[in-house]
Amino acid sequence: MQTTQPRRPGELVFTIIMVLGSLFLLWSAYGISGFEALSAPGAIPMVTAATMAICALMILRDTLRRSPVTGEKLERDILPMPVVVTIVMITAYALLLKPLGFVPTSFIFLTVMIRYLARCTFARAVLLSVVIVAVIYLVFRVVFTVLMPAGIVPEAEIIAWVSGLFAGEGN
Amino acid sequence: MDVLQSLLIPIIDLKLLGLIALGTFAGIYVGAIPGLSVTMAVSILISFTFSWEVYPALALMIGIYMGGVYGGSRTAILLNIPGAPAAIATALDGYPLAQKGLAGEAIGIVTVVSFIGGFIGILALALFAPLLADFAIRFQPRDYMLLAVLGILLVGSLSGDSLVKGIFAGALGIGLGSVGMDPLTYTERFTFGTDALRSGVSFVAVMIGMFGISEGLMQLHTVNTAAVKQKIGRIIPSWPLVRKHLPLGLQTSSIGTVIGALPGTGGDIAALIAYDHATRVTRNPEVPFGKGAIEGLVAPETANNAAVGGAFIPMLTLGIPGDAVTAIMIGALFIHGLNPGPMLMVEQPDMFWFIVSALGLANVFMLIFGLTGIKMFVKIVEMPRAMLLPVILLLSIVGAYAVSNSLADVYWMLGFGVFGYFLKLYGYPLGPVILGVILSRLLDDNWRRAIISDQESLWMLLKGTLASPLSLVLFVSVVLIFVSKTPLWGMIFRKKAG
Repeated sequence: MQTTQPRRPGELVFTIIMVLGSLFLLWSAYGISGFEALSAPGAIPMVTAATMAICALMILRDTLRRSPVTGEKLERDILPMPVVVTIVMITAYALLLKPLGFVPTSFIFLTVMIRYLARCTFARAVLLSVVIVAVIYLVFRVVFTVLMPAGIVPEAEIIAWVSGLFAGEGN
Repeated sequence: MDVLQSLLIPIIDLKLLGLIALGTFAGIYVGAIPGLSVTMAVSILISFTFSWEVYPALALMIGIYMGGVYGGSRTAILLNIPGAPAAIATALDGYPLAQKGLAGEAIGIVTVVSFIGGFIGILALALFAPLLADFAIRFQPRDYMLLAVLGILLVGSLSGDSLVKGIFAGALGIGLGSVGMDPLTYTERFTFGTDALRSGVSFVAVMIGMFGISEGLMQLHTVNTAAVKQKIGRIIPSWPLVRKHLPLGLQTSSIGTVIGALPGTGGDIAALIAYDHATRVTRNPEVPFGKGAIEGLVAPETANNAAVGGAFIPMLTLGIPGDAVTAIMIGALFIHGLNPGPMLMVEQPDMFWFIVSALGLANVFMLIFGLTGIKMFVKIVEMPRAMLLPVILLLSIVGAYAVSNSLADVYWMLGFGVFGYFLKLYGYPLGPVILGVILSRLLDDNWRRAIISDQESLWMLLKGTLASPLSLVLFVSVVLIFVSKTPLWGMIFRKKAG
């Protein structure tokens, strides 16, 4: 049941977190209904958490036995800068979505991400972002009727104005 | 509603027909572009088709599934990067053919045999699912419980390098599925006293996080890898070539259907077993295996497409998903108010026949789109991932938000995305997590029903299991999976060999 690959950077810490997390869940599962009955609401959660804890301990034993990999670094192979930047950008997106609205937040997100990952010119990143946001907005707003936060963009007024234009043409 | 009428629904309704075509077309690209997966696409799509009626939503998802399984072969041949795990075996002989300038021929034969495999899988679904559903009505709660455990164990043992990590992932999924109020007693489970957890963890947020965000983060490691350019020649294969490989294709299609129908196994395993079968039954291949043998393309591609129809058999008749994609499809059916299982065939047979028909149409569209537009396809596959990935991430965020217009779901998605990323990095399979989430309710409900009917006695439950042939087979299978991965198994067989 053991893996033979060498231990990657950060793997030991991650495994210890899994062990502690599983034990915490086991304690929490015990708190649901204890050993009240085999059909009690806490029975499956307890078995599940106990399974997780046993497996996590076995994985920890295996991880401790394996030698660390040579040539790999945490900051390069596990958490390289693009991954960190992306996680930060998604968090920023979630924080800004309500106050700024879908269109400006998506535009900023795409421009920064494309500029950073593809290393293209700023103008190209802006142009691509405008086109992609326009397509996504039209497809998801019209086809999938998904409602996204309008934020600072007066979306209702713009839609009413566009509808008015078409209504005017029809008269 | 009779069978024929249900079969005709997606054919006469042009909107549904168009959605199947669109889904298949998109699926081919999704399956082919490294970094995009069918699982990811279907999980994101659930959130967008949430408010749709069930037929259009299913039509689009079935198209993506069918197209995606086939599409994985494209990049396996062109770039030596399987677009999906089901295409790993295809790369072994597909890429050597492309290196010889025969990429077009390889794609052509793969398309035709994928169609044949897909057709056989769908035929098996239409013929055997109603029979299995009749049989499944007699299943006892303990059988469902054992089936759920078997499914999670199989996915856990086959999808990663370590059974322990697979079991850990499956248990994690069951734990996640248990979060919230217990539906029978309204007891809080794993809520830690917070209101946000009382209604449970958003299934869609978990899925998009685990399959969309974590995969996107993994792809960032190789974001600037330059695409390999290939020349495309003749595409449509000659009839003698197809006829020559038809007997092998039929054998491997049957293998694919059976493997796909086993709970917990999917197209990836079917393809590898079929490839192995081909290497054993092909006496004198024109080109050796691994160097561009056509048999090495025929076997995995018939099998993985046949496995699609096969995977729908346990999914629709037992409510047990075959793999991660069918787990997500089950989630979609639940969201649309359907309850996959033997009663689906009794109460809503029209839904079953609609799915059969939609799969058949998706298979035909796969053949049409597969043999056309390959040169344009090559250009799109060569699109830089650095530009594609931000779009995928944006779609994932929008998808998570759209389910219940809640920012909390975006944070859940991000949390599970980062967690899934680390799980992947350290060799934990993610398939069992999602299977566990989906099956936790089935497992919990049936365990409690089984143990209550056996008067809370484990001994009586065991006696009942050993007395019923079906329960016994399932129980022995579960035990065998465990034992086969322990040193004990090795000791027994070494002794025998000795």
